Amino acid sequence: MSKTILTVDDSRTMRDMLRLALQEAGFTVIQAEDGVHGLEVLQGERPDVIITDINMPRMDGYGFMKGVRGDPQHRATPILVLTTESSLEKKLLARDAGATGWIVKPFVPEKLVDAINRVAA
Amino acid sequence: MIRTGSLAERRAARLTDGDAAARQIRRSTADGELVNIVQGGQFVSEDPDLVIATLLGSCVAACLRDPVAGVGGMNHFLLPGADPARGDSENISIGVHAMELLVNALLAHGARRERIEAKLFGGARMMAGLSDIGDRNARFAEDFLKREGIQHVGGSLRGDSGRRVQFWPVSGRARQVFLADASIVREAAPVAPAKVEPAGDLELF
Repeated sequence: MSKTILTVDDSRTMRDMLRLALQEAGFTVIQAEDGVHGLEVLQGERPDVIITDINMPRMDGYGFMKGVRGDPQHRATPILVLTTESSLEKKLLARDAGATGWIVKPFVPEKLVDAINRVAA
Repeated sequence: MIRTGSLAERRAARLTDGDAAARQIRRSTADGELVNIVQGGQFVSEDPDLVIATLLGSCVAACLRDPVAGVGGMNHFLLPGADPARGDSENISIGVHAMELLVNALLAHGARRERIEAKLFGGARMMAGLSDIGDRNARFAEDFLKREGIQHVGGSLRGDSGRRVQFWPVSGRARQVFLADASIVREAAPVAPAKVEPAGDLELF
């Protein structure tokens, strides 16, 4: 059975690019537009891996990850942060919020698929 | 690369940001500071006396600002050209990345996405006969604004001559001068795409 990936990003362009890249790799893709929307989607879905941006309106990536980790259903789901940011300070914040790994944009489809397979194994 | 936190922190971040720093030249004039950016560069400011300038051929510069937050900035990018083996997605991703960096830098200065307005410049057809790189850059930028719901309030795209563009990031005023000699643009803006390594690698916590 194909793995299901939830992507959370406020940019429509980025959502479209992620969907295309992940579907081409054989994943089932579900998407949300910000942290609040992401937590809503997770009430009815059990993705194998979550990919989230950091800078988003309403609820940013840190708040979203804390919300995910606070839900017993998703406590162990791997979360990859995909962001333009690369500062150590932000990586530490993300790690403390429950991130599994960090990828700096622009994303390379093959590397992203490898990363998903690594953390989902 | 994105500036957040106090002004001092932002200044420090700017100084240590080697790649972006290498793509801008800063000098003081009688009227205020002038920052020149080249391909792959961007600059964001809240200084009403500062002007950001660049030279454009087939490249595009997006000038974004949030009139309420009083902050604006300019980037300067070129889609490197489609590699037939890989399709157009990698090509587009360069442009998407340039735009996202600029939007995020504005957000870090207090801008709100829904208030951002944009002027687009450049995308000229610099060489007859070849595929129209300028038009592809212009179309990408227009489509990006439409998809992201960012208001496109002006600027000047396409045509067949290079431009010198100046943008005042706080007032949003922009000025352009067409350049008669295309070689000025080619000399000023090397066509090597911006270095984006080591993007895309996974770092596990």
